[in-house]
Amino acid sequence: MRHARTVAGVLIVAVLLFPLYWMVNASLQPSGALLKPSPDWFPVAGTLDGYRKALSTQGGHLLSSVLIALGTVVVSLAIAAPASYALAQLKVRGGTSIVFALLIVQMIPGIVMANSLYTVFGNLGLIDSYLGLVLADSTATIPFAVLLLRAFMVSIPRELSEASRVDGAGHWRTFFSIIVPVSRNAMVTAGLFSFLFAWADFLFAVTLTTGQAFQPITVGIYRFVGNQSADWNGVMATAVLASVPAAVLLVIAQRFVVAGLTSGAVKD
Amino acid sequence: MSATKRGWTLSMTALTALALTACAPTPAPGGGSDAVATTITELDYYADEQGSAAWQKILDACSKQTGITIERQTVPTAQMLPKVLQGASSKTLPHLLFTDNPTLQQVAATGALTPLTDYGIATDGYYESIIKAGTYQDKVYGLAPGVNGLALMYNKDLLTAAGVQPPTTWDELKAAATKLSGSGKYGLAFSALPSEEGTWQFLPFFWSNGADLAQLDSAKSAEALKYVTDLVNSGAASKSVVNWSQNDVADQFVAGNAAMMVNGSWNLARLDAEKALKYGVVPIPVPKAGGKPTVALGGEVGAIPATGGGTQQAAGKVLSCILTEPTMVEWSKAHAYVPSKVDVAKKFGEQIPAMQAFIDEVGTARSRTAELGEKYPKVSAALAAALQSTLTGQQPAEQALAQAQQASGS
Amino acid sequence: MTLTATGVRAERPTTTRRRGGGYAGYAFLAPVLLYVVVFFGYPLVANLVMSAQDYTVRSFYTGEAPFVGFANYAAVLANPLFTTAVLNTVLFTVGSIAFQFGIGLALAVFFSGRFLGSATLRSLLLLPWLLPLVVSGAVWRWMFDQDHGVLNAVLRLVDAPVPWLTSTEWALPAVVITNIWIGIPFNLVVLHGGLKAIPPTLYEAAELDGASGWQRFRFVTWPLLRPVTGIVLMLGLVYTIKVFDVIMVVTGGGPANATQTLTTWSYALSFRDFAFGQGAAVGNLLILVATAFGLLYLRSLRATLAEAAS
Repeated sequence: MRHARTVAGVLIVAVLLFPLYWMVNASLQPSGALLKPSPDWFPVAGTLDGYRKALSTQGGHLLSSVLIALGTVVVSLAIAAPASYALAQLKVRGGTSIVFALLIVQMIPGIVMANSLYTVFGNLGLIDSYLGLVLADSTATIPFAVLLLRAFMVSIPRELSEASRVDGAGHWRTFFSIIVPVSRNAMVTAGLFSFLFAWADFLFAVTLTTGQAFQPITVGIYRFVGNQSADWNGVMATAVLASVPAAVLLVIAQRFVVAGLTSGAVKD
Repeated sequence: MSATKRGWTLSMTALTALALTACAPTPAPGGGSDAVATTITELDYYADEQGSAAWQKILDACSKQTGITIERQTVPTAQMLPKVLQGASSKTLPHLLFTDNPTLQQVAATGALTPLTDYGIATDGYYESIIKAGTYQDKVYGLAPGVNGLALMYNKDLLTAAGVQPPTTWDELKAAATKLSGSGKYGLAFSALPSEEGTWQFLPFFWSNGADLAQLDSAKSAEALKYVTDLVNSGAASKSVVNWSQNDVADQFVAGNAAMMVNGSWNLARLDAEKALKYGVVPIPVPKAGGKPTVALGGEVGAIPATGGGTQQAAGKVLSCILTEPTMVEWSKAHAYVPSKVDVAKKFGEQIPAMQAFIDEVGTARSRTAELGEKYPKVSAALAAALQSTLTGQQPAEQALAQAQQASGS
Repeated sequence: MTLTATGVRAERPTTTRRRGGGYAGYAFLAPVLLYVVVFFGYPLVANLVMSAQDYTVRSFYTGEAPFVGFANYAAVLANPLFTTAVLNTVLFTVGSIAFQFGIGLALAVFFSGRFLGSATLRSLLLLPWLLPLVVSGAVWRWMFDQDHGVLNAVLRLVDAPVPWLTSTEWALPAVVITNIWIGIPFNLVVLHGGLKAIPPTLYEAAELDGASGWQRFRFVTWPLLRPVTGIVLMLGLVYTIKVFDVIMVVTGGGPANATQTLTTWSYALSFRDFAFGQGAAVGNLLILVATAFGLLYLRSLRATLAEAAS
C-alpha cells in the first residue's frame, strides 16, 4: 500500500493524542459530564457554552500569551545563539565551566526563582510588565537554548568558519552570515521550545502580575477553576481555543526545518 | 587557570553586589502620612467566575460608600500564601487581605497584621467561633463577613427509590450508604486528600465524636478514623476519595455516581442550576442520636496588614463597610455563605430555608485554629497523612494516628 | 565530532584562530554570563543561605532567621519521608526518561521519513506540550478515574481494571505515564532535529553497501546522534527531577506519599509545614544530584572534544 506509512502515522497520532480528543470532548459537554457512568465518547448532546464563555473572556489573555511567548523567543535566541557559537566553535577558557553552570542553574526550584524574581523585579518596577515576564521566562529558556544550540553547533565543520575568516570576515560577520543560516534547523528547534516554555508557564505569570494590567492564558484559565467550583467546560474550551494559534505557529515553524545541515556548504 | 579564576572572582563579586542591592527592600508605601488614602490594594482568592463576580459587587458597593478606590488582585487558592509571603518580604503587602482561617494565623504570626480594634471594628454579635478564628494571641486580627461549613447533601430521587430516609446518626449513615451503593455507584462521597481539604472534611467526624486536635491518638480519634475507613472498605464510598477534591466530589454527586455527599454550602448555586437534580440538605450525622455535629468553620477573614497609617485607615473603613449587616447578607446570598453575626444569620435562615442546616451547624462549629493557632498546619498535615495511610490500607488506624501524634507533637 | 567522518580534515592555520578566538569568544558569551549572574545568582545564593537558617513565616516579614548550620540537612535526612521521596524520585525519573526517550526516538525516526502528512503529523505531536498543566492534569485524572475513567473502561474489556490513583502501588506509574505523555514532544523534536542533521548521503552509501534498516540505524544514525542524545538525556534528567505541577495536579503527592518526590516534598516542607530552611535544604540536595550528573555529562563531552581534536 502506497500510503501505508501515512495510515500508520495517523493511527499512532490518534492513540497518542487521545487525551487531547478527550479534552475537546469535554469542552463540548457540560461540566463533569465525562464522569457519568457511561460517558459520551462523542459529544452528542453538545453545548457551545464553554466556547462562548471562553471567547468572551479570554481573548485578551491569548494575545498577551502570544506576545510574551514571541518576546521570549527573540530574547532567548538573541542571547543564546552567540553564546552557543562561542562555546561550540571558539576556544574559550572556562567553556566547560560555563556549560556546567548553565546545567546547574536550571535545577533551582521554580518557586525559589519566582520569589527572587519578585523581589528583584519589584525593585526594578518590572511587575505587571511584558518585559518583566519575557525576562523571567527567558531564565528558563536561555540555558536550554544555549545547551541545545551548542550540541548542534559542535557538529558544524570548522572549515565553514575558517573559510570565511580566511576571506577576511570578522567573527560577527562569520556568525551572522555563515553560522546562523547553517544552524537554522537548530535555531528553529530552540525557538520552538522557548515559545512552548513561555506559553505554558504559570508560576512566573502568576507571581509577576497582579491582574491589574494583563494576564497570560495560563492564569486567565483560573477564572474557571476556583477553590469552590470548577467549570471544566470553560476550562477545556479555553484550552482548545488557546491551542489553536499555538498549533498553527508550530506547523509553520516546522516547515522551516530544512533537511541536511551542510548540504552544499562545503565540498565533500 | 588564572583567567578562569579571575573570571570566577569577578562573577562572585558581581553576584554579591547584586544580592545586596536586590536584598534592600523598597520603603513601604504611604508610610508616615496620616491622611486617609484614597486608593487601596486588596487580595483574595475568589478566582472563579461566580465567586469573583459576587465579590466584585461587594467591593464596588463599599468602594462607592466609602469613596475609596479598591485595586483588586485575585490569585488561585494555592498561590495565596506564596503571594502573601512575597509581599511580606518585599514590604508590598496588600492593604486589605481576605484569606482563610489557617492562613490568617500564619500571617498574623509574622507580625505583619494590625489589630482590628485600631479601626473601631467591634466583635459584638459575632459567633464565638468566628471571633476565635481571627484571633491570634488574644488580639482580633481578622473578621469574616460570611462563613461556611459542611453538611450532608443527598439526592432526593435516589433515596426515595431505595426507600431510605436522610440519615442522622453514624449507623444510619452507614446503612443508608451501603443500601445506595452498587454497580459502580456509591452511597457517599467525600474528600480525603493529603491536604487541608482532607482534614477539613474529616474534622466533622473527628470532632463530633469528641476527639481533640491536641491528642490525635486518642481512642475517640481512632473510632472516627475507623468509621470513615469502614465506609470506604465496605464499598459505601469509593476508594477514589483519596484523590478527590471537594470540587470532584460535587462533580460525582451531580453525575449521579454518589447518592450523598459531604460538601459545603457554596455548592448550592451549582446544584440549583442542575434542573434534573433534586437535592436536600441535612446536618452531618452524629455518632449517637441526640448529639449535635461539630463542623469546622470556613470562610474568608478580612485582615489589615501594617502598610502605613493612611492606607491602613482606608482599609479599615472598607472593612467596616464590608462587615455591615446589609453587605453581609448580600455576600452570603450571592455566595451561599452564612452571615457571621448570630441574629443576622437567624433572619437569613428565615429568608432562605435551604441554608437552615448550615446555619444550625455554625452555632456549634469550631475554628480549626482556636487551640493550636499557628501550629495547626502541622497537626492538620499529620492528620491528613494518617487518614490517607489508613484509607489506602498502609497502616491500621491506631498505628497511623500514633505516628501522626508523634509527627505533630514535636 | 564533526560530520566529515568520511572526509579528510583540512589543514588549519592555528595562529589566526588562537589570537582572534579568545576575546571574541568572551564578547559572544557576555550577554549569557550577565543574564546568569543577574537572574540566577541571587536565588542560588539565597537558597543556599536559607538552608542554613531557621527560616519561618515570621522571617519573611522581619528578615530575621537564626543561623543553624547543618541542622536543616540533618533533619531532612533523618525524616522517614526522605527515603520514600528519594526512591520515588529515582523511579519517577528513570521511568519517565526511559520511555520518553525511547518513544520519542522511535517517533522521530518514523516521522523523519518523507511520506504524505509526515510534517503535519509530527507537528501535531507537539500539542501535549502546549496545554496548561491544569488542563492535561485534569484530563488524565478523569482518564485514570477508577470507576468511570476511560482507561479502566478499556481495561475492563480484558477484565483487569487498575486502581490507578487510589492505591499506593499504581499512583506512581500513573504519574509516570502522564509525565511520559507530556515529555514525548521534547524528545521528539530535539531528536528529529538531530536526525535531520545527518546527511542523507551517508544513508545512501550504507544502503548501497547492503545495510538493513536496523543496521543503518545502529551504525549511521545512533553514533551521529550522540551529541544530541547526550543533551536530550541530560536536560531530560534535569527537567524530570524538577517536575512539580504534573504530580501536584494529578495526585498531590499522595496517596499516602506514594508520589511524593524530592521536589514535591521540598514544596510541602516549605509551604505546608512552613519549614522553609528544610525545604531549601532538599532543594540544594537536588542541585547536588544534578551537579553529579552534570559532571558525568561534562566528562563525556570532554571525551568527545578530545576525540575531535585528535
